Amino acid sequence: MAKPSTLADSTALRDATVRRRVTQLGSARDGLRDWRLQRVTAIALIPLSLYFAISVLRLAISDRTTAAVWLGSPAPALLVILFVVAGITHALIGIGSVFLDYVHTRSRLLAAGLLVRAAAIVLAGAGVLSVLKLFLSR
Amino acid sequence: MERPLSPFMFPSWYRFAVTSVLSILHRVTGIALAVGSIMLVWWLVSVAAGGGTFAATHAFLASPVGRVLLFGWSIAFYYHLLNGVRHLAWDAGYGLELRSAYRGGYAVIAATVVLAALTAPFVFLT
Repeated sequence: MAKPSTLADSTALRDATVRRRVTQLGSARDGLRDWRLQRVTAIALIPLSLYFAISVLRLAISDRTTAAVWLGSPAPALLVILFVVAGITHALIGIGSVFLDYVHTRSRLLAAGLLVRAAAIVLAGAGVLSVLKLFLSR
Repeated sequence: MERPLSPFMFPSWYRFAVTSVLSILHRVTGIALAVGSIMLVWWLVSVAAGGGTFAATHAFLASPVGRVLLFGWSIAFYYHLLNGVRHLAWDAGYGLELRSAYRGGYAVIAATVVLAALTAPFVFLT
């Protein structure tokens, strides 16, 4: 590993003083919270998404009962709920930053943000409710 | 002069480079996966609902159009996952030199192609 340069050392992930300097009276506002949440959910999604993808590949040819039994068992139920919540949170921040870059009208940006947030809450709610139903009725 | 706004900087203001194309692809695949999350949640709902809802969902996913969509989402997933790890490394301060940025980029492309090729039989032959 090459010796890290000074520039590389002062990322917000590596150096707490960077964070201290930009928060409070610094220039960072809501963005830093989203930035961190995007990274935290990204890290959580590495194992969660791989687990889900591998499971679904194995379930691909299965009938409804096999899928329902799998989703209703404790560990898969918990991991799929965490996957759905982390994934939709991550997607919400990502879509939000795409809007921030490409929607140049404040009112449209606000409207688009509210719409996507509402869609994300409905989706996450429906996903969690479905898994809970299968878990509780097994 | 009218300032150019962000979606229209290519190709007249910036030249395409592997790194910038990969960066755009990260967004494109991210948006594709966000759209895919609707299908994913719908599949969960259909398993919970059972009956005709599940049968219709299963029939759609097993149809040629459904399989092509699933394969597309698999490619987007592999790419976004691998390139996301590259981004996390940058956030931690690693691999920011031009050479490693290119090398990591080519590695991500190669790994995505290999994983997509390994997934194809599962999607199209089952």
